[in-house]
Amino acid sequence: MIPEAVEPRRALIGEYVLGLLEGPEASAVRELIAHDRDAARMALEWEQHLLELADELPPQTPSLVLWERVQQSLGWAPASRGTPADGFTRWWNSLGLWRLTSGALALLVLLSWLPGVLREAPVGASFTAVLQVPGESAKPGWVVTVDGDGTLKLESLVADQIPADRSVQFWTLIDPKDGPRSLGLIEPGKGTTLSAEQIGAVQAGQLFELTLEPSGGSPLDRPTGPVLYIGRAVLIAGN
Amino acid sequence: MADSEFDYEGTLEACARGDKDAFQRLYQREAGQMLGLAITLLGRRDQAEDCLHDALVKVWHNADRFDRSLGQGRAWIYSILRYRALNQLRTRGRLVETDDGFIEQMADDSAQAEDIASDQSESRELRRCLRHLERPRRHPILLAFYRGLTHEQIASRLTTPLGTIKGRIRAGLRALQECLQA
Repeated sequence: MIPEAVEPRRALIGEYVLGLLEGPEASAVRELIAHDRDAARMALEWEQHLLELADELPPQTPSLVLWERVQQSLGWAPASRGTPADGFTRWWNSLGLWRLTSGALALLVLLSWLPGVLREAPVGASFTAVLQVPGESAKPGWVVTVDGDGTLKLESLVADQIPADRSVQFWTLIDPKDGPRSLGLIEPGKGTTLSAEQIGAVQAGQLFELTLEPSGGSPLDRPTGPVLYIGRAVLIAGN
Repeated sequence: MADSEFDYEGTLEACARGDKDAFQRLYQREAGQMLGLAITLLGRRDQAEDCLHDALVKVWHNADRFDRSLGQGRAWIYSILRYRALNQLRTRGRLVETDDGFIEQMADDSAQAEDIASDQSESRELRRCLRHLERPRRHPILLAFYRGLTHEQIASRLTTPLGTIKGRIRAGLRALQECLQA
């Protein structure tokens, strides 16, 4: 499948670097680059030439939280934060909240504790749930937030790898009598946003969980695989 | 823009030895340009920042695999970024419509007779060689690079049969490599 002659091979590697190959062809070139130094050199040569195109674009300033997120993901304490002074700071840092994509949530949580700071109070109640590895309270993996108009946001704090033949499914449970309800499949490490219509009314104590299911999701109307992360909704602002 | 003063290879090797300051210098040096490319590829800033985050974490963890005898450090860093961005595009699909005006403009940017002389001193090799390609070969390559489009997506965007697009890209890359090696 991969040409022996240098020039066709170099062109094929160029197609791979551009992201144009798929399926077995892409895998074959990936393998070649991993094991053949000449192929790896060709790939980096293409990449080097293509940098000229990247450099035509104007740079964009990353948001301030990005560097903090990167440090958190690497397990480095953000240098600017210094030594945790008290229990609250330790709890705050241990939750890894600074790894959130949006610093806005953190700000909302802080502000919501100060009466009168939010001039425009949300229409409904807001909730948050930190989803943790079952039985390991120091291992938060995901954060659920529900804002005043009922929109749910699921955000990842971790970059888990899951087997290719499995899916991660998001569930909620309000009343054990009613059983869990699927909120859809989630891509590991990536969040999702669900509208108020999709999730319905949220109440304090409501359970959210992520389970490992067969590819495409649970064949039943309930989880069939192990719970990866679980947490309960906590009211952070009421109307 | 690449900074010829910045020692990308040495910085990556320092990262491989666990030098956090080196990594921070790399971040300060390159994160903005990387984000610019990620936004262009993914179309949304939030997704682009997620992609950049993942790529940077990968750069740190894999820095010991960088080998300066295989190529330049900056190219290696962008190979990681582009790979992640393309994966993100393939698994989630494009969530926003993009304005491809600047790509059209670059696609129209053919070399004119009077440019040939000034081209000789052009240090930006790829741009020079791209301008010497015919537009139908140049345009799909630009769409693949800037928007991460697949063959099928390029064919439908340019309302051209898939086989024709594949042939043009392949021929375009062959011509580019000839020009680049000249």
